[in-house]
Amino acid sequence: MIEAAYTVLVVMLTVFLVLEGWDFGAGLLHFVVGRNEAERSAVLDAIGPLWLWNEVWLVAFGGMTFVAFPSVLASAFSGFYLAFFLLLWCLILRGVAIEARNQLGDPLWREAWDVTFAASSLLLAVLIGAALGNVIRGVPLDSRGNFAIPFFTDFGVRGRVGILDWYTLSTATFVVSLFAAHGASFLALKTAGPVHERSGQVARRLWPVVLVLLAATAVETAIVRPDLFTGMTHRPAAWIALAAVGAGASTALVCQASGRDRAAFAGSCALISGLMGAGAAGVFPVMLHSTLAPQDSISAYAASTDAYSLRLALIWWPFAVILSLGYFWFVFRHYRPGAR
Amino acid sequence: MNDPVIWSRLQFAFTITYHYLFPQLTMGLAPLLVFWKWRALRTGEARYAQAARFWARIFGLTFAVGVVTGIPMEFQFGTNWASFSRFSGNVIGQTLAMEGMFAFFLESAMIGAFVLGEARMTPRTHFLAAVGVAAGSWLSGFFILVTNAFMQHPVGYAVAADGRLHLASLRAYLDNPWALVMFGHNQMAALVTGSLSVAAVGAWYMLRGAHCDQARLYLKDGIAAGLLASILVAFPTGDAQAKLVARLQGPALAAMEGRFHSGPRAEINLIGQPNVAEQRLDNPIRVPGLLSFLAFGNVQSDVRGLDDFPRDTWPTDIEVLYYSFHIMAGLGTVFILLMLAGAVQAWRGRLQESRPLLWLILLSFPFPFIANTAGWAAAELGRQPWLVYGLFRTEQGASAAVSAGSTVFTLIGFVGLYFVVGLLYLALFGRELGRGPVEASHD
Repeated sequence: MIEAAYTVLVVMLTVFLVLEGWDFGAGLLHFVVGRNEAERSAVLDAIGPLWLWNEVWLVAFGGMTFVAFPSVLASAFSGFYLAFFLLLWCLILRGVAIEARNQLGDPLWREAWDVTFAASSLLLAVLIGAALGNVIRGVPLDSRGNFAIPFFTDFGVRGRVGILDWYTLSTATFVVSLFAAHGASFLALKTAGPVHERSGQVARRLWPVVLVLLAATAVETAIVRPDLFTGMTHRPAAWIALAAVGAGASTALVCQASGRDRAAFAGSCALISGLMGAGAAGVFPVMLHSTLAPQDSISAYAASTDAYSLRLALIWWPFAVILSLGYFWFVFRHYRPGAR
Repeated sequence: MNDPVIWSRLQFAFTITYHYLFPQLTMGLAPLLVFWKWRALRTGEARYAQAARFWARIFGLTFAVGVVTGIPMEFQFGTNWASFSRFSGNVIGQTLAMEGMFAFFLESAMIGAFVLGEARMTPRTHFLAAVGVAAGSWLSGFFILVTNAFMQHPVGYAVAADGRLHLASLRAYLDNPWALVMFGHNQMAALVTGSLSVAAVGAWYMLRGAHCDQARLYLKDGIAAGLLASILVAFPTGDAQAKLVARLQGPALAAMEGRFHSGPRAEINLIGQPNVAEQRLDNPIRVPGLLSFLAFGNVQSDVRGLDDFPRDTWPTDIEVLYYSFHIMAGLGTVFILLMLAGAVQAWRGRLQESRPLLWLILLSFPFPFIANTAGWAAAELGRQPWLVYGLFRTEQGASAAVSAGSTVFTLIGFVGLYFVVGLLYLALFGRELGRGPVEASHD
């Protein structure tokens, strides 16, 4: 049952990263692919009326963590206190930018919000990349399950670590490149005209970079957290996920180059899902690794909620997901973008 | 001042108070929007579609600010109140997760379609989107109120060997009498905000002689809904809420009424200033026996004063609690009178000529926001010194890993960010009002 709850959380975080990955990626490429106001409007139109639904996956992921693993939520959220609020403020600014931009036709007004939108999207990608790096590398957990982590210490990956070190900076770089490529593939698929042309070009240039960075990050991960790879070897779920990584990466690279936008985008989605699945399977059952003392790490078995509460949540969760997909389908089916 | 608990309390109070200015308006407007969409669908009359179109723009703007200011609320349980989350996460995690999974997905999928979709959907599917947004916003309120009701009056739990709470019965937890009463009370209070805002905008256009056809509709429907809601918020929901407080949170009731000493034939103090140092109420105007009657249904009943409770169970901010409660109850009474006056004049067909009354309705629009805020302040300060009433004290709940300095920084950050968001909201709101319910769509 704890494995099922862990899987639910991994699925939700993966869906969030795939969906908001393209939103954030499109956002950080906002000025690269949108050279004038009309083109930037096209970028925002592509993100569409469902960006909020995408973002709710993060909020719902937080809620499910609360019900399934309350002590992980308590330790992680309070430990990453300042970084967490930076993330929240970026989400606020980004949401305000999307809503406020189209309220006035004034070009300066729109440009100001476009800059806010692009900058907050970039910073969000950096923060998410660094956060994932922190989860893999571990945090300075003490025996009472608490940690307070500074933004940086000596940039080393052992003992008293900071949020930013050489490893998490490289995961952040990797995630920025990945989101950018994912967003470019998305825009190439969803837009027409000059934005489509430029997005395709950007995606074709970015995918090789992403794959080089992926290889480099994998090597670094083997140094920082070797048990992640040993964990993968005896978990079949990880093999499937690694197959998805391989298939997704090659599809994205090959199909983008040959202009098959739909297949390239599907490959990109598979790549992100595979990476999340492989990483999650590799670290299980450790949810928060301690860099100070391995025995202080928080494991899913120790951190889970009581059995009754967990069982209830696992019973109602699938219904909620089906309903949610139903709403998505309803809007997707009945809302005709562009019609006036 | 280097106590992190104080700063975390201030931050939560500030962010939730600010946040709730927006959902109370959207939850209050939602039934009116659904009603107009439904009338437009049924009668085909343009004025209903026009009203729905105009208020959907206001709704969308308000909803957006409600969403962005709402995101930090759930996460603050983990960031600032980690010990509380460890203690009670097994229980309250259920409803907080349900809110995300059942309510937020519904709202977030439908809101874009509702606000931007009138020309891009059929009338029937657009009506369904309106219903979806309305249902989602009320459902979200329900899950939050169940969570809060558990903190006010914990039920359906068991204490585990490690001292943490476990969920014993989901049914008992959801079926908390406090939750049902508070949900009714709170939703009616939100409807007061929504309908008074509609009536106030109607009064404004009427006074200016602009958009008179729409203004008449806003006044008529706003006053009808406002009269209904302002009565329901007092009776039965407010009355039932007061009786629950009297029965289950004795020190809170005593502090709300400035009652320092116990005794029979307890009075209601219409006005008066609590003097906690001297343990008395200065300059009171009293109605003898009324508190006994309202709390227990008998003018002779004994109502316990603060002197009857141990000091360490007294609410921590008696003065603020007292004033919050009195402001809420006083304004609630004013709303009933104002809506009654409006309804009588409308029934006589004289509303459009009574400029003083139109002015009163126009100028009354900030007061439902104040009353809602004061009501929540009364509920939350009445709960002190407990985080979970009788089980877990507020000073136990904060995060061990977070320093006062970090919380000061994030609080200042929120004040700055929300100031900008507030200015933006007011500017865009004013622009929508200035443009008025006209045909041109803008996007």
